[in-house]
Amino acid sequence: MSDDRVRRALRDTAIPEPPGAAERGRRIVAAAFAERRSGDRDGCSEPRGAMTPTTSEGRGRRPVPRLALGLSLAALLAVLLLSPAGAAVRDWVDEALTASTPKPEPTLAKVPGGGKLLVQTGEGPVVVRPDGSKRLLGGYEAASWSPHGLFVAAVEKRKLSALEPDGTVRWSITAAQRVAVPRWSPSGERIAYRSGFDLRVIAGDGSEDRLLAGSTAAGTSPDARISPAYVPPAWSPTGENALAYVTGAGRLRILDSETGAVLAGAPALRRITWMDWADRGRKILEAAPATIRLRAVLPAGHPSRPALGKARRLHLPPRATVNDAALAPQTPLVAASITHWRKHGTYSEVIVFEPGHGTRTLLSVPGSLGQVEWSPDGKRLLIAWPGADQWLFLPLGRGRGRAIADISRAIAPSGRPTSFPELEGWCCPSP
Amino acid sequence: MREAQEGSGTAMARLYSLHWRGAYRAAYLVAHDAAAAEDIAQDAFLAAVDALDRFDRRRPFRPWLHRIVVNRALDWARREALRRRVDGAESVFEPLPPPEEIGGEMIAALKELPAEQRAVVVLRHLLEYTPGEIARMLELPRGTVNSRLRRGLDRLRAAAEAERLAGERR
Repeated sequence: MSDDRVRRALRDTAIPEPPGAAERGRRIVAAAFAERRSGDRDGCSEPRGAMTPTTSEGRGRRPVPRLALGLSLAALLAVLLLSPAGAAVRDWVDEALTASTPKPEPTLAKVPGGGKLLVQTGEGPVVVRPDGSKRLLGGYEAASWSPHGLFVAAVEKRKLSALEPDGTVRWSITAAQRVAVPRWSPSGERIAYRSGFDLRVIAGDGSEDRLLAGSTAAGTSPDARISPAYVPPAWSPTGENALAYVTGAGRLRILDSETGAVLAGAPALRRITWMDWADRGRKILEAAPATIRLRAVLPAGHPSRPALGKARRLHLPPRATVNDAALAPQTPLVAASITHWRKHGTYSEVIVFEPGHGTRTLLSVPGSLGQVEWSPDGKRLLIAWPGADQWLFLPLGRGRGRAIADISRAIAPSGRPTSFPELEGWCCPSP
Repeated sequence: MREAQEGSGTAMARLYSLHWRGAYRAAYLVAHDAAAAEDIAQDAFLAAVDALDRFDRRRPFRPWLHRIVVNRALDWARREALRRRVDGAESVFEPLPPPEEIGGEMIAALKELPAEQRAVVVLRHLLEYTPGEIARMLELPRGTVNSRLRRGLDRLRAAAEAERLAGERR
């Protein structure tokens, strides 16, 4: 076997790649570069560069990479665990693992707590039914549930489609620019989505597609529009027409989705990755890699004339990185998956915040956790653990948690895993 | 690099476009995990952005980036190996199934090498660095690099030969 053959094999053999990986990286690097520049130049703008994103996959909740956080210490941990002197550390690791995580089961026989999961795999979005059976919806890049789980909004390049949960296409439109982050209104009558940097709204039957907010903002540095524009818009849960979104210039705005009028605005959290309405429309939750905060929406419960009040940070351990955050349906609880340093190394926790009542740590494991998603009844959490290739279903109250092993393979429609699946939503029990 | 240091987003984009594919591929071939490879490649570029002001323009960008990528992929692979050992020994988790073959007997055989050998094979035969350069990148004696390369290639050859014979028997 010649060196040339090795070289050719390494260079040319197809290798798996998470969908959108290059683009996702480009956006994150562009955002980091823009942030560095804005720090350097204190707000001066530069001509729009090629790093400005033109596409988006996923739902904008993917955090900045956090792998590096644990790598160097992991090497140290390796040395410690494998040495005689590392026995105490090994005991500590055992204790941490056994104390917090249930024993994994080999298959997802049914969805604990019921409901249907929508999961983005390397082959496209997959619906996991309550009995654990799966259905690939097609080669779409991202998807989200309609409010009652009767339909799925899915995107692929410039195409936005409404699908039935078996993959049947109800309608499709082709937008002028790449489509991303579709979000269905609570009434099911409207879908808000991004096309390029534009925020648009379309009726649930595929008609009345219209521009709600354009991409250009006078006086805005083009580079400043890199990441905030891909934070998914969020509909007020009250059933009114209020739609919250983050502008390219990093402002949180509430719009009347019928008239396009700006109802309220305030600076969004720096480096915001995700936001949603909380506490039945009385607050807006914003998440960024190092911060989670709640901003009051005033007057409480009346988003037809809202104003944005003061923002209050939720307490996180020092230097914690927020992997994901999610709001419980019906209650003001907020769950967050975080990673931080402790005495022995990198640790991840799932914390549940009850505003006004404090916090509770639901899970603590070494290494990194991923996304977190509430069950439709708000009684349990689904926690992604990519490092262990598992999903953890943990009840909030008493009861047995469950861990499902080998998730990349179990969820991949072809059974050939290409990447750890992303959670897009856990929807309503079947009617 | 000079333009990127002066603040040009276009230049930074060009650097990214030029080097992302190679960085991802190198990370994947050492870590053999697509999600980890994505994070490692991304993280290397973020490190580049952070260090842009301190970067010595007289030195090439490519080896600097690859040094970060391969070292982090190596750390990741070691950590994974450790995690599996701890999990298996204590039966806290079910043992993971054998890794999926991703196509190409050479890549499958590469996956079976120790991470340290994988790293030098990838640096030598994918990224085409000399043993001397690899030694500096991984902070190893040159003799160690050579022996890892030799052992790695021997095992790749053996695996390829076994595969060929099995194919003939079929």
